Amino acid sequence: MIGKLAWKNIWFKPLNTILSILLLTASVAIITILILVEKQFEEKYQSNLDGVDLVLGAQGSPLQLVLSSVYQVDDPTGNISFDSVKVWMKHPYVKKAIPLAFGDNYLGYKIVGTTPDYIEKYQAKVADGSVFEHNFEVVVGAEVAQKLNLKLGDTFKGTHGSAAEGEVHEHGEYLVVGIASKTGKVIDNLILSNIPTVWQMHHEEGHEEVAENPAHGEEGHIHHEEEVVAENPAHGEPGHIHHEEEVVAENPAHGEPGHIHHEHEEEGHVHDAHETDMTIDEPNMEITSVLIEFRNKMGVFMWPNLIAQNTKMQAALPTYQMNRVFEMFGVGLGALKYLAFGIMFISGISIFIALFTTLKERKAEFALLRVNGAKRHQLLVVVLLESMLLCTVGYLFGTILGRVGIVWLSKASESDFKLGFNPMEIIWEKEGLLFGLTLLVGFIAALIPAIKAYTLNISKTLANA
Amino acid sequence: MISTKNITFSYHKDQTFILPDLFCQAGSTLLVTGNSGKGKTTYLHILAGLLQPNSGEIVIDNKDITHLKGSKADTFRGKNIGVVFQKSHFIASLSVLENLEMASWLATGKKHAKRAKDLLQKLDIADQASKLPSQLSVGQQQRVSIARALMNEPKVLLADEPTSSLDDKNADNVIELLESLSKEYKTALIIVTHDNRIKEKFTNQITLV
Repeated sequence: MIGKLAWKNIWFKPLNTILSILLLTASVAIITILILVEKQFEEKYQSNLDGVDLVLGAQGSPLQLVLSSVYQVDDPTGNISFDSVKVWMKHPYVKKAIPLAFGDNYLGYKIVGTTPDYIEKYQAKVADGSVFEHNFEVVVGAEVAQKLNLKLGDTFKGTHGSAAEGEVHEHGEYLVVGIASKTGKVIDNLILSNIPTVWQMHHEEGHEEVAENPAHGEEGHIHHEEEVVAENPAHGEPGHIHHEEEVVAENPAHGEPGHIHHEHEEEGHVHDAHETDMTIDEPNMEITSVLIEFRNKMGVFMWPNLIAQNTKMQAALPTYQMNRVFEMFGVGLGALKYLAFGIMFISGISIFIALFTTLKERKAEFALLRVNGAKRHQLLVVVLLESMLLCTVGYLFGTILGRVGIVWLSKASESDFKLGFNPMEIIWEKEGLLFGLTLLVGFIAALIPAIKAYTLNISKTLANA
Repeated sequence: MISTKNITFSYHKDQTFILPDLFCQAGSTLLVTGNSGKGKTTYLHILAGLLQPNSGEIVIDNKDITHLKGSKADTFRGKNIGVVFQKSHFIASLSVLENLEMASWLATGKKHAKRAKDLLQKLDIADQASKLPSQLSVGQQQRVSIARALMNEPKVLLADEPTSSLDDKNADNVIELLESLSKEYKTALIIVTHDNRIKEKFTNQITLV
């Protein structure tokens, strides 16, 4: 009955109440968003960092290198020589080194050349099918598979660069051989192949250009295959290639090569996965970056200088870079938090003013309740309850509004950064604390009016009314 | 039944009210009259247990209420004393019926909705039960006040200037109603008033001087 009275009293003066609730809702919504986003953001960023002590890549902004190589959100800083980075990958300090080569995307989802270690690093499994073995075979992240409805055995053509609107590689199709399990990390939004696939895709791009300039291209073509031969002298296959080369060499006349070239292209198609395939041992090739996990954590301190002094690469420490980001974010988040608490403080004052001004007209009401047998503490409870009920309503609206806000935020960040937030997560500890704080605001705001009701002089009030 | 003996009361040290003893049987009516400033309302508040007298005793139903303190006094008052004020006060956010239920709940912990509806019926305002008190006319409000005062079937019904804001016809009605209801509910009715229209109707009177 006391609760009912408090509830009815709240809605008897709806304008006062709505103002207070609006203010509370706004502040609780902001704080709820901050709590959820901060936690999920840090969690996501932290989980992607597992197993990455250092990133090796081209010189430039270290933050950009970390963002592009670990979080796949920024453009890469450039390319590095695979030959020279290989030396470092075999360094005794290194426990695991995962090379990454960026190049293409499929409908906006990055195609990343790497090694199966990359899948392992994210504790993902190839849920369906198998890991990529041959060139042009890809493992598709869970999110990509779901959104693009990709299945095992599907083929698709990549687009150059990181934008979906780029130039399509007409040459060579990717074949889906595996679909990765869902991890909630960046790998869900990636398409993974081996590194030679990326090289070959862009190498064959060169072929197309060759076709347009036959005189020039032939030379380049031959040169290249000679290199292959030189690199793998023990190979059984080169004999066949040599033969073709010889044919070319024996027919220097310009009329003939067109025919031969044509044959070769056909062959290239048929044997895509065989002798013309590039391997990881290809010399003079470039990759984008390498994720390094150290066996000896001293590397974290030594490598940045070591790399800077001895190579044209840079070594970026992702933890350090991300901490810088969080520090920068922290200022903004902190300001928002103060704003939200400020609004909550104002809502407390609004409740206090509403209760205090109505107290005068309600004095007679309180006196009447006492005449009817109400005890002092019951009046205290009514006033406190009114304020705290109001705060509870404001809190409920606030948490709901905050989650609606997160759904919106998530939509935006999903398309921009492939980073979604879960509005349904409840962080009991912090949100419980926020609820407690909201109630406390209500309690403090109502304290003076409640005490006035408690100490009300019934006789005087009734005599003067 | 209510009786008092040797009651004195003072707001300040230099002004002391010496209040005459009174006695009122269940079902009968006593009029307390006197000019303004003679302590009529003070006496009523003392009888209702809202003010603590300096000395003397007030016996309601063989119980001296001057010894009751705190929440015990509140509960006793809620159960045994009904008060009708000059100006009607209500809980503005509750309906007429809920106001009656609240009076019952505060004293006994039960709403007694049926008794409330019966009372409203008896006072001819049953159709106003779900309205807010502020939507009623002054006369109707007064009747709701009476209904509320009788909700817990009190031993004593105190009325403070119940007719002062009413016209002759309504004043007559209210007095008749109070008298007949106090007989019906076996309640000792004490009316504090300076309204001459009432004085002629009652023989049982004391005057404060």
